[in-house]
Amino acid sequence: MARNVAETARKFLLLGQCVPTVKQNAAKIRVKRLELDENLLMYFRKDEFYYCHDPKKVCKTGDIVLIQSLPQKLTKLITHEVKEVVYPFGDITDPITGKKVAKERYREDMDRQAELYGKLDSTFDYNKAPERGWQDGKKDFTSKPTYTKFHVFDENDPYAI
Amino acid sequence: MLRRLACTVVQSRGIKHTVNVKWVRPDYVPAYKPEKSGDLEGLPPIPESAIGKDYSLSEEIKDASESVKKIFSVAHLGRKEYNRLVKEELIDRVKRHQYDHSTAETKIAFLTGQIRYLQDTMDKFPRNKKMKQLVQEKIDRRKKLLKYLRQYDYKKFEWLLEKLNIEYKGHPESFHKLSRMESLRKLTEMHCDDIRNKKLADYRNLLESQQGPYLQQKLDALKLIRSEQIELKLPITVTEQDITKVQQQFDDWKIKDDIKQKAMKKKKNIVLEI
Repeated sequence: MARNVAETARKFLLLGQCVPTVKQNAAKIRVKRLELDENLLMYFRKDEFYYCHDPKKVCKTGDIVLIQSLPQKLTKLITHEVKEVVYPFGDITDPITGKKVAKERYREDMDRQAELYGKLDSTFDYNKAPERGWQDGKKDFTSKPTYTKFHVFDENDPYAI
Repeated sequence: MLRRLACTVVQSRGIKHTVNVKWVRPDYVPAYKPEKSGDLEGLPPIPESAIGKDYSLSEEIKDASESVKKIFSVAHLGRKEYNRLVKEELIDRVKRHQYDHSTAETKIAFLTGQIRYLQDTMDKFPRNKKMKQLVQEKIDRRKKLLKYLRQYDYKKFEWLLEKLNIEYKGHPESFHKLSRMESLRKLTEMHCDDIRNKKLADYRNLLESQQGPYLQQKLDALKLIRSEQIELKLPITVTEQDITKVQQQFDDWKIKDDIKQKAMKKKKNIVLEI
């Protein structure tokens, strides 16, 4: 029965989160599902991973995206394609007012508060800030999974801890 | 008796490895070290003659004599005052307004200042266990705050990394003790991949080198067929387009081959020089 459910689910759009991967030509998407344990009558989390075709590289690590299965498998691994990015990671918009939010507060409110106290030049400016990804591979190592360092290579891999 | 003999004769441990990979165990690096904590920068350059944080605000110190200034300098007041200046320097890089002490960026800057001067003291007294624990706690706390900041404000997170000169690495899937077996397995896998890729590349090279002569032959044959068909007034099956297409392919191959030959020559020269 579980197999049937999984097969029918493949035809629909799926909502998942992009996770770090070493694959360069595909995005790895984690789809969270709840599975019923019939003995305990309780739902348990069950993750499924899909490798998705993403030629334009629209989704980055952490984004919530919609994916759909391809009519034919692209490779042995790549079975789905990324339809669209629903929620970009760390760039949240309030759905009711349409304003940008950081945690529980509006960004403009925080700006207003800083202005009242006397804004300094060292303040972070959202308008001047470049798009996400300019530190990727320089100081921000989150696009690939990190692992325990197991050997001394000639070249030091920053993803080895 | 027999069993004992069998045990000594048949070795179960230390079976010789047939794959020639050499494993070098990475050295132990204490967690407080900058390369582990992700600090790309040491203490900020604060001179020893800098005046303590509170005293620098007073009017009298500005036109005081040298000896008075020396008494109120960081060198004389002690390490604690110096550390206060370190924290202030880092917070000044990111704070929003004058009274900003509780936002995420100032908290992270404050912790970074603490971590940097504690790392400096840890280098002097590496056996200080209490301090080692303290640095570890601060580093973990900062990492946690950075993780949260990344989740709710990615742009600010990246800006903060640049400003404070910190590296951020994601959590690995599992933290575990490194074992010889696991390392050797991974190395062997890499070795096998290398062999396979090399064989594939060699085979590809071989096929590509045969492409040129074949295209040349094809071009000649097509031209011959076309000319003979025209001569004998037979229905023409080979069009001009076919011939130009093959010609184009041949030209492309020539350019590619040239680049390859040049690369090969360069490699040979480098080997000869060495």
